Amino acid sequence: MAVSVWASSSSTIPSSKYNNLFAAAAAAASSSSSYSNSSSLKFPLQRLPITWVCSPSPSRPRLLPLVKAKKQTFSSFDDLLTNTDKPVLVDFYATWCGPCQFMAPILNEVSTQLKDTIQLVKIDTEKYPSIANKYKIEALPTFIIFKDGKPYDRFEGALSADQLIQRIENSLKVKQ
Amino acid sequence: MMTTTSTTTTLQVQAQASASSSFAIRIPPSSSFASPLTRSPHRFVVRAAVDPSEKSIEIMRKFSEQYARKSGTYFCVDKGVTSVVIKGLADHKDSLGAPLCPCRHYDDKPAEVGQGFWNCPCVPMRERKECHCMLFLTPDNDFAGKEQTISLDEIRATTANI
Repeated sequence: MAVSVWASSSSTIPSSKYNNLFAAAAAAASSSSSYSNSSSLKFPLQRLPITWVCSPSPSRPRLLPLVKAKKQTFSSFDDLLTNTDKPVLVDFYATWCGPCQFMAPILNEVSTQLKDTIQLVKIDTEKYPSIANKYKIEALPTFIIFKDGKPYDRFEGALSADQLIQRIENSLKVKQ
Repeated sequence: MMTTTSTTTTLQVQAQASASSSFAIRIPPSSSFASPLTRSPHRFVVRAAVDPSEKSIEIMRKFSEQYARKSGTYFCVDKGVTSVVIKGLADHKDSLGAPLCPCRHYDDKPAEVGQGFWNCPCVPMRERKECHCMLFLTPDNDFAGKEQTISLDEIRATTANI
């Protein structure tokens, strides 16, 4: 069972620019699938290999890899960016932004398809205005692809799954 | 054939600033992490956002219908988008006194309301019929539907899980 709860920490976190604990859920990362029963998160999070599970359907038993979203805690957004090996696609959104909600299922689909290429992170600009200000976010949704911790490509507005995949692949291909 | 239950979850973090610098993190209970032996359907985290007032929603709903007619624009084929934007406008009307565009990030919201550029209908819409919220769509837009009306029931139904 994936870790679904963690204990509150009373140790002082080194103060960083964003001094709230920042939890980001990453879309299915190829290297994560946790079946530990532990209910406490160690920081930094241990990465576990994909675990092969038996399909629950009795009629056709076969081994299926279960790829799951990985939950990690970072002390800041910067920390998240530096501790991720893949490029990160960040979706800056707001709760009552129509196109942002429209993109939610599309982002799920894209992050599944590109799970080895990119990691998806969503940031609520109303909850983290300082991060939004730092990257000069104006229109929503804004997508920024971060590579090596720095903004690499940036685009605004809703788009279809195919268009988004195209954009991500072109962007990462060109600058390699 | 690979089964994936990958979903992207946005976690709401509540940091309690206190003298002891302790941070409490609360994760919504209906998390979308599947246990190994069950296949969970794609489930989004259901976390009720505070809804704007009924009165403001009604005002912005009427405004949207009127303005769509007046400007010759149409609502999105996906009425969910229309509904979310109407609620966003209502929310800003409640909190700021004016329907500031909900599809933008602002450094200082009250200042923006005073300035007026992004009060719906915003200047880009009034001048060039450009609505990046996808609320008012010109007929040539790929996402434009054929309707210029939306009922309160539709709004409620399409935003039930936000």
